[in-house]
Amino acid sequence: MAKPIDLLQGTLDMLILKAVSLGPLHGYGVLLRIQQISKDRLEIQQGSLYPALYRLEHQGWIASEWGESENKRKAKYYRLTAAGKRRFQAETEKWNRMADVIAGILSTTAEEV
Amino acid sequence: MTLSSRVRCWLRATVGRSRMESEMDAELRFHVETYAEDLIGSGMARAEALRRARLEFGGMESAKEECREARGANLIETLLQDVRFGSRILRKSPGFTAVAVLMLAVGIGASAAVFSLVNTILLKPLPYPDSSRIVLPELLSPPGVNLGSEYIPWGQLQFRLLTRDARPFETVSAFQNDSFNLTGAGEPIFLDGFRASQEFFSSLGISPAVGRAFTAEEDQPGHEYEVILGNRLWRERFAAEQNILGRTVELNGYAYTVVGVMPAGFAFPRAEEMPSSFNFPSEPQLWVPLAVPAEPKPGPSELAVIGRLKPGVTIEQAQAALDLMTKHAEEQDHRWIGWFNTRVVPLQRQVVGDTRRPLQLMLGAVCIVLLIACSNVANLLLTRSLARRREFTLRAALGAGRARLIRQLLTESLLIAVAAGAAGILIANAGIYFVKTLGPANIPRLREVTLDLPVLAFALGISLATGILFGLVPAMAGARENLVDSLKEGSQRAGGSRLSPRLRNALLVSQVALALVLVVSAGLLTRTFFQLLGADGGFNAERVLTFQLPLPALKYADQNQIVTLFQNMLERLRAVPGVRAAGIGETVPMGGEGESTTIRVPGHPAASQKEMPFANFTVISPGYFSAIGTPLLRGRDFQQTDTTDSLPVAIVNAAMERRYWPGEGALGKQVGPGSTRYPLLTIVGVVPDVKHSSLREESAPEMYVLYNQKPWPSLLNMRVALRTKADPAGITESVRENMHAIDPDLPLAKVATLATLVDDSMSQPRFSVFLLGSFGVLALLLASIGMYGVISYSVLQRTQEIAIRMALGAQRRKVFGMVLGQGARLAGLGIAIGLIAALGVTHLMASFLYGVRPADPLTFAGVSLLLLGIALLACYVPARRATRVDPMVALKYE
Repeated sequence: MAKPIDLLQGTLDMLILKAVSLGPLHGYGVLLRIQQISKDRLEIQQGSLYPALYRLEHQGWIASEWGESENKRKAKYYRLTAAGKRRFQAETEKWNRMADVIAGILSTTAEEV
Repeated sequence: MTLSSRVRCWLRATVGRSRMESEMDAELRFHVETYAEDLIGSGMARAEALRRARLEFGGMESAKEECREARGANLIETLLQDVRFGSRILRKSPGFTAVAVLMLAVGIGASAAVFSLVNTILLKPLPYPDSSRIVLPELLSPPGVNLGSEYIPWGQLQFRLLTRDARPFETVSAFQNDSFNLTGAGEPIFLDGFRASQEFFSSLGISPAVGRAFTAEEDQPGHEYEVILGNRLWRERFAAEQNILGRTVELNGYAYTVVGVMPAGFAFPRAEEMPSSFNFPSEPQLWVPLAVPAEPKPGPSELAVIGRLKPGVTIEQAQAALDLMTKHAEEQDHRWIGWFNTRVVPLQRQVVGDTRRPLQLMLGAVCIVLLIACSNVANLLLTRSLARRREFTLRAALGAGRARLIRQLLTESLLIAVAAGAAGILIANAGIYFVKTLGPANIPRLREVTLDLPVLAFALGISLATGILFGLVPAMAGARENLVDSLKEGSQRAGGSRLSPRLRNALLVSQVALALVLVVSAGLLTRTFFQLLGADGGFNAERVLTFQLPLPALKYADQNQIVTLFQNMLERLRAVPGVRAAGIGETVPMGGEGESTTIRVPGHPAASQKEMPFANFTVISPGYFSAIGTPLLRGRDFQQTDTTDSLPVAIVNAAMERRYWPGEGALGKQVGPGSTRYPLLTIVGVVPDVKHSSLREESAPEMYVLYNQKPWPSLLNMRVALRTKADPAGITESVRENMHAIDPDLPLAKVATLATLVDDSMSQPRFSVFLLGSFGVLALLLASIGMYGVISYSVLQRTQEIAIRMALGAQRRKVFGMVLGQGARLAGLGIAIGLIAALGVTHLMASFLYGVRPADPLTFAGVSLLLLGIALLACYVPARRATRVDPMVALKYE
């Protein structure tokens, strides 16, 4: 297995939004979901997850409520809000454009200049 | 917001906060424990799984802190944290905290007390409904005529013109003071009251608490025998009887019907609220109708006027309307020219009167005290923050931001300020009580002054403002410290940053300068006070008894009767053992203004009414001048041989002689009242200027006439003066007995020694001196504490240097001088700056001074020396400590 890479600055928020857009999750669930869909190729500091969740909630992009977890314990579940959905779409588009541009730049050969 | 809802709000915030905290705990615990369970599920041992889970999570506390920050509600929490930490720090050094709080508390308390005066007297609306509409139309002295006052009383004629023409007024009323002898209800009592025309109470917007105001019918000559009682009189004299209405009381021998009782606290007008030239009583007790005839005859002018403007009418519009009235009157009758100029003055401004400037002076003084206290505390904090450098360095190294450090320091200073504010409110309360009990009676609205909400808000406001003021500078300076330097130095003693001593010195210099300004001002007032004490009032106040003699008008309707009474009285009083001289006069010195009149001076023809000469006009008896101790400058006193049938004579004062007969002398010249109905009098004597209301007044021309030579005003309200051999108080009873032996109905009013009257006239300057003097002493004390603190700290910091100097052979005397020199340099700089500032400030207080110039060199030099002396004294202890430095110990310690 390849060594996990560190998260790019500012991308954690996007990943969280993606994770909860697939269905309500508790904090630990978010971590597992990201690891699962990234196939463990990303290294996420567990401690940094929660400040990000709190920040997103404070901004109104995700909402939380207490529910029961798979192991029958009380857990705080986060879900995407309508505003969060719009935000996530905008962020996704921006990211894709950016990735295109960067990829384009990086693949430029000397002849093309 | 009510108290209970405030408490609920606070509870919600606190409980809500702890709920959020516990939820956050639960959430993070869930994460770690679930992860651990997963690890156990994959075959790890329980203890190891838990350890791994925690380890991989990272710093739990820092995550929590970041969460709190992310949630946005962090401000209040860090504030609470800062407050908790700050109060712990302050509790740990109780000495520092106590000194800082005490210094500030004194400053805040004094400011709040002075503010309560300013607020009540200058800012609060008068206690009358819609009081901004209440005005006093005042009649101005004709230009170029010195009547001793800017205003003259209204005459009945002028008042009638005003009511006929009073378009700007909703209601308008004239009033004049009068004395009433209340008989037939227990012991006869002498009461101050007012005759007021019908719309008096409606102009003020106050109705009687019981009964009604006067009707228009009652305000007509012949129908004016109704009385409205003041609340105090009603309670004290009539036992607050509810069915007092309709009762008959006897005033000056006439039967009056009680038609109303005023609400408690109503006593308009009080002397201190009206122009002093009216000489109104301090608290009126009753009101009767004035009853101005519809077609008044010319007569003496004795009225004051009050009006309520129609809604929406401005002062300017009212003034324009009155100016128009004046113009019409002057066109119809040329005699009005110059004598009917009015000025519409808002009642509020009149009540504030002359107190605005003294209050501003006090406010300025108290601000200086507060500033000195602030800079002192700032210095203390600065010194302390230097001593706490290690703590800050450590906290900064651990990741506390500069803003966070500043906030922490500011929180500490705000805590000090709030504690000082609370203590200051207690001090302010004591100060207000003190001013109310001991302050001079002529401060308007003093009885309304309390520690009310605006004052509390003010105290809170200046607490916070001072907290930021004295906290910000040390906080910025403290947080600016270079971390690396501080850690490298390691020691708290050595060096210190270059900025801080300069800052502390600047604070100290400004303290000295401020204190100098304040003490110079206090010094000038003190000199003024002593100049006044030594001022020549034209009389000798030692051992003189005076009293007022308001005669019952019915019984003494005939002037000859009064003359006989006075002759009897003087004879009897002179025979009383212990009496050296006795006299009767319309006024006594420091007893207030008397009558004044236009005069005829042959050889000084009045070209027009405008230039008509004017003089004070005082009726006296022989012996009056010896009784009050006024020497004769030239000529002779009135004698028993001056009678109704002999040559009509007069005595004039020096001011009058200078004005009308400069160079030639007044003796033998002739003078008379303006009306030709009275004969010309021959001047037989000249006396010095006798002052009437205040020792600082400028004396106007004055003429004295004899009571038994048919003078013009009535003799119904004269004053008696008795010069005694021993203490005047000892003969009061025998004087009373003798008076009652002549006529048991004679009331003796306002019995007082002349010395007491002089003392009363000095109460305001004395009070100013006392207040400003206390502020000055406070400023000196604070400045010397500041000086002591700065110099001690610098000695402490320079211990090493001093030790080296001494080890190298410097003498103790030299070291002592060096420290003193440092203090003297700072004090000298402060004094120099202060002197320049004081020169700018003191000329603003020229109107408070008497017999001393604003730039009085004696005061300036004396105060400078005093300040320098105190500064050196404050440096003495640290200087001594410096000489006791033991080089061995000091150097070893390093």
